[in-house]
Parts: sequence; C-alpha cells; structure tokens
Amino acid sequence: MARRNREIGKAGWGYTAITSVVGFIYFFPVFWIILTAFKTRTDALATPPKLFFTPTLDNFTSVFYRASITTGTSQATDMGLYFFNSIFIAGTSVGLALIVGTLAAYAFSRYPLRGNDTYLFIILTTRMMPPIVVIIPIFLMFRLSGLAGSYWGIILLYTAFNIPFSVWLVKSFFDELNPEIEDAARMDGATEGRVFFRFCIPQILAGLSATFVFGLILTWNEFLFALLLTGVETRTVPVAMARTLGGEVGVDYGLLAAIVTLFLIPIFFVTFLLQNQLLRGVTFGTVKK
Amino acid sequence: MSDLKVQNLRRTYGPVVALADMTFDVAEGEFFCLLGPSSSGKTTTLRAIAGLEELDKGQVHFAGQDVTRAPVQGRGMSMIFQTFALYPHLSVEANLAHPLRRAGVSASEARKRVNEVAELLRVTHTLKRKPSTLSGGEQQRVAIGRAIVQRPKLLLLDEPLTNLDAKLRHDMRAEFKRLHRELGMTMILATPDQLEALTMGERVGVMRDGKVVAIGKPRDLYQTPGDTYVAQMIGSPPINFLHAAGSGDNTVDLPFLGLPVAAPGVSPGQPVTLGLRPHDIGLAGGGPARAAKFTARIHLTEPLGDVTVIDVAVKDAAMKMVLREEVAAKYNVGDEIEIGFDPGDLHIFDQSTGARLGVGAMQ
Repeated sequence: MARRNREIGKAGWGYTAITSVVGFIYFFPVFWIILTAFKTRTDALATPPKLFFTPTLDNFTSVFYRASITTGTSQATDMGLYFFNSIFIAGTSVGLALIVGTLAAYAFSRYPLRGNDTYLFIILTTRMMPPIVVIIPIFLMFRLSGLAGSYWGIILLYTAFNIPFSVWLVKSFFDELNPEIEDAARMDGATEGRVFFRFCIPQILAGLSATFVFGLILTWNEFLFALLLTGVETRTVPVAMARTLGGEVGVDYGLLAAIVTLFLIPIFFVTFLLQNQLLRGVTFGTVKK
Repeated sequence: MSDLKVQNLRRTYGPVVALADMTFDVAEGEFFCLLGPSSSGKTTTLRAIAGLEELDKGQVHFAGQDVTRAPVQGRGMSMIFQTFALYPHLSVEANLAHPLRRAGVSASEARKRVNEVAELLRVTHTLKRKPSTLSGGEQQRVAIGRAIVQRPKLLLLDEPLTNLDAKLRHDMRAEFKRLHRELGMTMILATPDQLEALTMGERVGVMRDGKVVAIGKPRDLYQTPGDTYVAQMIGSPPINFLHAAGSGDNTVDLPFLGLPVAAPGVSPGQPVTLGLRPHDIGLAGGGPARAAKFTARIHLTEPLGDVTVIDVAVKDAAMKMVLREEVAAKYNVGDEIEIGFDPGDLHIFDQSTGARLGVGAMQ
C-alpha cells in the first residue's frame, strides 16, 4: 500500500495539472446544478449566467413544502417518501443481488460445472439488449401477477437486473484468490461454510464494496422501469423529478436542481464511505501482489 | 502407528494424466522425499494424501485406516504449501492459532502453544503483524508454524523452499532436518531439487510421469541408480553419459580408451550407455585406481570457489569433471589434460531400455 501511494505521488505537477483540468470539466455540470439549487428563479434563468448571486434555501424548502396552486397555502409534498423509496428499493435490491451473486460467483469459480462458460454467457445475455426491449412483456407480467406498483415487484426486478453484473464481477475477484489458502483452512479443520465466510469473503471485501457501489449507482439512477412499474406509493426520485417538469408553472429549474442536489447526497455518501475499498476493488488483480 | 500407504493412485484432468500409478509406503517418523521434475505429479500426490484431490483410482491408507474418501478435515495431517498460503486477513498470531481453535483447543492453551511455536521458529516479534508485512523467510517460518502447531501425525511439504533465495534455502534445509529430529513426525517433501532430496530425505522416491520409478536411500540411488533416468536425476553436476557398444562377451570398447573395459552382462554389439559421475573423474596421476587413462581437451571451466567444474572433450565425447580449485587453477581452456577414472565407477546401462546392467571393471 505504501509503495503504491509513493508511486502516485511521483506523478509530478504536469500530470496533476492535466488531471485537475479534466476533473474540472467532468465536475462542472454537477457544480452548476448545485449552484442553481441555491439561486432564485430569476438568477437561475439570467442571461448571461450568473456565477455570483445571493444564495437562497427557498428551493430546498419547496422540495418538501410547496404552495398549493388552488389554495395558496403551504402544503407538504411526498418528496420525503420518494427519497425513502429510492434508498429502500436501490439498497435492498443491490444488496440482494450482491448476496445471490456472490454465492453464485463462488460456485462458478470453485465448483465449475460441465459447460460452465455457457452458463456464464447465458447469464450475461440478459444484459445484452436494451431494457426497453423487454419492457412490454415485463409490464404485462407485473400487471397479471399484481406486482406492479408494489415494493417487492420493483425490488425483484432490480435484483434480477443486478445479478448478472454481480456474478461476473465477484467471480473475477474469487478467481484472483489463491486456492491454496482455502485448502490450508480446510486442512486446519475449517468446514466449507467457514472457508467461504471466514476466508474467502474477508479477502474480497474491497471487490464486494466496488460491486455494491457500481450496482447502486446504476439502480439509483434507473428511470424507465421505475416510471412504468412503480405506483404513487412506491415512486422513486427520478420519476418524481420528471413529474415536476412541465405543468402550470413550466420548468422550475431551481426546484429541479435542489432535488438533484439532494439526490446526489446518499450516493456520494456511500461512495465516500467505501472509497478506500473501492479504489482497491477496481484495481484488484491489475497490480501484481 | 501412523504409517502411510499410497496405492495405485490415478488422477486425470481430461486428457492430461497427472498421476498414472503412484504407489509407495512411508514408515512412521520417516522423512520421505518425492523427487521429480515439474509436472511429474508431486503436488497432486501430496494433495491426494491430504484429501484435497479427487482420485480416479487408488487408495490412501493412513494410520491403519482407509482415508481415501475421508473428508480433508480431521485427518491429522498438515501441509506447507508452495505459496505458503498464509491467511492474509489475519495476524500471524491468528494464523498460528487457527488450526488449534478448529481442533477445539481452549483460547489460553492455544495462546501458550502459539507462543511456543513462535519461539521455536523465531517469529515471536511478528505475532501482531499481517503476513504481507513479513519477509519471505518469516512467511515461510509462519507457514511451518501453522503446520506444526497442532502436532500433526503427518506433515506434507510441497516445494516449500522454491520461493526462497539461495542463502535462506540452505538455512531452511537444516531447519527442516532439525524440526524432524525434534518433533519426530512423519514428513513427506516434494521437490524438484535433487540436493534437497538427498540432504533431507531418509528415503527418496524418484518420480516420472505420475509414477514412482525408484525408491531408496539417497546414497543407494546415487551409487547404484537403477536406470539412466534415476542416474541423471541425482547428482550435481549431472552424470556423464557415453554411448558405446559391446565389443565382445562381457566387454565394452570406449573409443577414446586404448583398452576395453570389462562389462558383465553385455553381449557383443549390444548398444550400451555408460554413466560416469563428474566426481569420479580425476587427474591420471591420482593413484593406481584410475586405471582407465586418456587425454582430453578443456572446453570450459566453471569455478565454484572450492571446486571447479571442467568440461572436457575427447574424440566425439564430452564430459564434465570436478577438480579442487587449486588443482584446476593450473589449467587453461584449450589445454590438454591427462585424466582417468576407475572402471569400477562406470555405471553400465542398456541403451534401449535404460536399465542398469552393472558396473565396469578392469579387463
């Protein structure tokens, strides 16, 4: 670890400057949205765009409390519920997919079946077509089974969509492990369950974190299935965000920016929390140990 | 009674035959070596004994019981792996304690035994550290510690010295012999290095293509190798092979020697391979024993400090010989040198089968 840090530090000012510029270009849209969230409606629409303005928290207030068009009194919106839905649905489905995917990945890595590669390929094919291709059959299945609009319906769907990704990624982490370590544990008297939970899992925690975060980001931002398969009670933030567009007042950019800013926080928080693991996870196996 | 009987083991991976037909016995408390080139099936054999490998055929009996189908856990064996296989997420202390805790030893007793083993292997200062922060030698000693802490009846060593540097390897060879003497457990070492096998093993099994082709004491294998394969596996620098044919009943003519050599069992015209150890060739003046004398030209010298390996050529034959450094220093590349050997040191093999026919003698 120490050696790797030193090598990163050696990069020099030229590289650091280039990286900073590229990083700034990538970050600028996010920065502009966050800035817009603190602007009044006039500032947000000003031409030329304003970089300096008096910040206001009004947009954030109106995410959760908005004046009703008809009565003019302040009214609670359902945004709190939608945030909960996003966190609950994404967290549960990615967590489930990781559990199922890890178990499957271990089996694929350690107990290969005849035609193993074919199975792995079939698993991957589910991710080869654009989701919109399967939207009609899935929508019908959900309507018929009564899963449409329920938490478990959308969680099930997201879990199914995350499993292939989890299996493939986690399998590559298991493949990297030294199998003699597991044999050593067995000879020491460890049962198969213990070998898996106490010896394999701890060695790939970084990889599991990376898989979790990638899956979470994909699921967190998913719009199409959420739009069609969630109901009023189970609506996620991306759908709720889309519904603020248009209507009587046109596009309220300040409000939208405030929702986006809030929407960034949980994912930012998780990524930040796992960033050390994440860095090791994505470089797993690329650096000779 | 903890003797081990390995019978007719066969293991294939698709078309690849890892073990063809492995059979050998190891007595209780013995230090047994499996010597063979890479992919001759050494590791697979050890793994089969440990129960880590599914077998197509064959049985493993250990301590009077058939353990062929017994689970890996609870066989009373441990193994030192080529990669050491230390648990990277656990401290050295936890690595050493793991086998004990699994065996149901109490925490306080385990701590005591871990400290004893750490002391024995001089790794006490590393107990709180993670294996990745240890040097190669320390990792090796921790791996040994983890293997012996539960006092197994049988210790399997899979090329344990391959990942160490030369100096450390030398020290560890002595270390293993010391451990074997002190702990008295049965040990099986797999190695491609004849030096390790000869110095450490009480008996050596020479392997070829998933089979044991010769078993014996190191001294016997060196002095009376049963065939050309065993002869070239053992000894450094490797044995010289010369091709010749029987010149008459029980005699062989070497083209560069003026006189025929007695070779019992060789019929006229029979092609034979003659094996001559580099250490058995010396200066012609070195006593009456070196009756077979000839002149050769020096091709190459490799000084090793105390001795020098000299490549010589005579007629169309090339050989290696070993001279003490102070003697070798008198000669240069290109010089002619008067050398000889005792025909009694000549190993005679059949050229087509490679089987040993006997030793030479003065006619």
